[in-house]
Amino acid sequence: MIDTLLFIVLPYLAVVLCIFGSIYRVRKAPMTYSALSSQFLESKGLMWGSLPWHIGITIILLAHFVAFAVPGFWQSIVASHTALIIIESIGMSLSVLCLFGLLILTIRRLTSAKLQAVTSVMDLVVIALLFIQVALGAATAMHCKWGSAWCSGTTTPYLWSLLTLHPDPSYIADLPLIVKGHILGGWLFILVIPFSRLIHMFAVPIEYLFRPPQNVVWTNPRKFAQAGETFQSDEVRRHFVQAAAGILFGGSLLSIGTFRNIFSFFFGPRLSVKEETELMETRLHRLESTADQRKLELQRQASNYILICNLTELNAENGKYFIDYKMQPGIAFMGEDGLPLLISAKCTHLGCTVGNKVDANGKILCPCHVSFFDIKTGQPDPGAPAKEPLAHLGWVLMDERGKVLAQRDNSGTTTGTITSQTQTTARVYIAKNREDKA
Amino acid sequence: MNFASDQRARLKGPKATILLPIILTLYAEITVTPKVEAYPEYQQFIEQHSHKTVNCAMCHVNDNGPVGNEHGQIGALDKDQLVRLNKARAALLPGQVVDSPILNQFGNEIIKALGKKEFLACKTDPSKLAQLLGDTSDLDEDGIPDSKEYLDGTDPLNKFHGDPVKLFMINLNRNKIHVILAIVAVLSINFGLIHLIKAIMLTQASSRKGH
Amino acid sequence: MISLTKAFGLVSTFVSERFPTDKLNYHAMVEKKEVPIHSMSWGYYTGGMTMFFFGIQVLTGLFLLFYYQPTVSDANISVEYINKYVTCGALIRNMHAWSSSGMILFAMVHLLTAFAMKSFVKPREITWIAGVLLLFITFTFGFTGYLLPWNQIAVNATKVGLQSVEYVGQYLPGQLAEVPRILRETFQGESSVGQSTLGRFYALHVVILPLLLVGLLGLHLLSVQLHGMSQGVDQAAKKSEKFVSIFVFKDLTLWSSAFLVLFIMASCIPFESFLSYPLLAPFNALGSTPGGIKPEWYFFFVYYPLELLPFWVILLASVVLVAILMAAPWIFKGTSRKTLQLLAGLASIYLIVMTVFGEQIYEFYKH
Repeated sequence: MIDTLLFIVLPYLAVVLCIFGSIYRVRKAPMTYSALSSQFLESKGLMWGSLPWHIGITIILLAHFVAFAVPGFWQSIVASHTALIIIESIGMSLSVLCLFGLLILTIRRLTSAKLQAVTSVMDLVVIALLFIQVALGAATAMHCKWGSAWCSGTTTPYLWSLLTLHPDPSYIADLPLIVKGHILGGWLFILVIPFSRLIHMFAVPIEYLFRPPQNVVWTNPRKFAQAGETFQSDEVRRHFVQAAAGILFGGSLLSIGTFRNIFSFFFGPRLSVKEETELMETRLHRLESTADQRKLELQRQASNYILICNLTELNAENGKYFIDYKMQPGIAFMGEDGLPLLISAKCTHLGCTVGNKVDANGKILCPCHVSFFDIKTGQPDPGAPAKEPLAHLGWVLMDERGKVLAQRDNSGTTTGTITSQTQTTARVYIAKNREDKA
Repeated sequence: MNFASDQRARLKGPKATILLPIILTLYAEITVTPKVEAYPEYQQFIEQHSHKTVNCAMCHVNDNGPVGNEHGQIGALDKDQLVRLNKARAALLPGQVVDSPILNQFGNEIIKALGKKEFLACKTDPSKLAQLLGDTSDLDEDGIPDSKEYLDGTDPLNKFHGDPVKLFMINLNRNKIHVILAIVAVLSINFGLIHLIKAIMLTQASSRKGH
Repeated sequence: MISLTKAFGLVSTFVSERFPTDKLNYHAMVEKKEVPIHSMSWGYYTGGMTMFFFGIQVLTGLFLLFYYQPTVSDANISVEYINKYVTCGALIRNMHAWSSSGMILFAMVHLLTAFAMKSFVKPREITWIAGVLLLFITFTFGFTGYLLPWNQIAVNATKVGLQSVEYVGQYLPGQLAEVPRILRETFQGESSVGQSTLGRFYALHVVILPLLLVGLLGLHLLSVQLHGMSQGVDQAAKKSEKFVSIFVFKDLTLWSSAFLVLFIMASCIPFESFLSYPLLAPFNALGSTPGGIKPEWYFFFVYYPLELLPFWVILLASVVLVAILMAAPWIFKGTSRKTLQLLAGLASIYLIVMTVFGEQIYEFYKH
């Protein structure tokens, strides 16, 4: 019953009164529909009060209108979380701007003696109504979060139901009191339009925005001289206002976008169990290979021989990488004589690791600057960036009991031989050199 | 397997007759073409087609291919992995979900989409593989379908790797809200700054006149 | 004794001419400063742009410090973690990479325009020399930063770079021949590029170089403000604008546009997508170097000639170039701006050609 009264009867009453009352007032007393200016009486407070208030409320009302007029479009925008947050933040800051402006305007109305003379009771009613309405709007935004998202399922269909003359307040029946109060305030607001200075919103001087600046030409010489300066300071102020608006808007947009993400950047990600496991596995794997590397280094300090692989694992085309006593890479091949062929893999040009695949000419390639090296001689191709040959390295063949079967020193002298029986069990080692030991 | 040396011989031919892109490709090929490979035809094709260096890690676990004793190579598989390997090898027809331990996600996806039989048939015409893969699968979700990444020689499993121009268009579309907001913000800041400059210029001019 | 006083007198005149005490105040350095308006005025903005990109580097660098771990086992995975999981991590890292390129690009343009505008003559010698040193530091930033992701290209390019340093030794006489090797070993820290190298490069990139750069930048900016903008053109400009606030706000307008471009590039093109992907795999000590190792684009102008010409030619050219740059205020004292513009133009053409077509030129001559 009360809902029917407040949300069906009152709206229709308010709108009808607003339309006919306004038309009546414009016809009967056309000079009163623009708001009574008080700039001549007091201008400083007006600037700080009126400007924030009007900037704030205009944009907020526009957003209300968009959400009501094109709910589908509105919903598609707020579906993006980022956009939703940006809209809510802008709305919130604008309502704070409105409240600030209203506060200044109220103080000004109440404290300036000059203004008291022109202030009507209706003006005070309007100001109180606006205060309550903006406060309720801000409270809605704070208590019932993401109003710009849920409005398209509640208030928008309610308003449309009124517009299409099938009024149905059940859309908003279960909304909290704050929201209902805000809606009620809206209807009261429309109701008082024809009886108060609020009617001035039908006479917005939009053309002023696009009109070129006008200079009043005075015939009085003293005023004429002043006019130029006044005109200029007006223009300067216009530029300053535009500058402030542009920088503040752009700056706040940028900072909203940045600060939202900065926080979660420092907060850090929260991984799912699967992601966490995968990450830990990779970490462990990398740590293990680092540990292997350390073990190699330690081994090189302690032992006189380092195992490369079994002799049978070597082949002539595809070399096996190893790390020598100086922690430099080497490659092991099977030589034509059935004995290992060990060659340094550190390119003599700039130190890249040479490839381990032998091409048909018996050469391996350093990819960094395209030097081909003959594995038998170690010599680079003529004209290659590398000039020095890759060094051949010595090796030791031992059986599984550690008995030396054959060996070759770094100068290339081979001693000992292997037989077909020992070949299967032989293992390839590199030996610590005398200079390495030193 | 005289591939690398053939290319080298051709490289030494007269400079003027060889086009630069071809040289680039050949250069890329000599540097990485290994001798022992499972299916080097695909690698050669990708490098020729994209003029980019690729290695076995596009489809395999190990960047040196499946042969050897290292991680992800046939010599280092345990019992369970061998079962999975053989199951994948027996997946002759498309549509079977396989998890071969020597293949990475993309390699397994190829076998699933094509089946082993069709995959082997593609060896003579590796470009057909891209057609058969289609445009639906995008494993790294970077917006470029796997088949296109295969042709471009870019990593199908790395969201941050792809053809720069394609990535630019895709990401521009994906981030359009952020980009538009950034443009609006910067434009309005610049609008403000320009008016600030105008205002300061006017005040300075009038103060100069005043003195 | 007399000669000593004389020398002291010379030094003190030199210093007092470069740092005139009567101008060392806020009013003279900031309030009174005017920026001339003429056809080359755009050159005055290049330094500011470099500084803007440096600011971005500091900011994004501090962000990355939160997650980056400078150890051989974790460096690569921590970078991957930033890219993959951290909110806006990929964007911040990408901004760091793109903006480093922006910083180097504008530092080079700034050097060329300052040269063409003859902004180095008395009393601006110190500004110029500090600027040249700043450029070198910026290059060192690029070189040290390249190693930090610890992937194939990072480690191998660093190996090649450090080895090239050692290569210089063979052209030096006597005891000096050992210096490059000692230098390399100092920065490398162990027998091959490894944990010690990473730690050293990290310390350089994150602490030492920034401190050096900020110190020198302070000197550079102080002397810029002291002496005001150089005239820039032969006939003194008739018009000028106030440094505060007109020029500063114009600078800011440019910076915000640069930020927009940087943001769009960084959020849409991963910097690494220009490399082939085997180069981006984590570094593997037990494996061959993948093909296609090359430095960042801003080293191409010295890298490709280095690949094509004998080492000593490049070495000689670099030494001469550095000497010319450092001594420019005295060498080109009497040179006309027209000649300087021509020289700067030629240098820019060389830099652009080598950077854009370097690879093609290399392939053409190599095969």
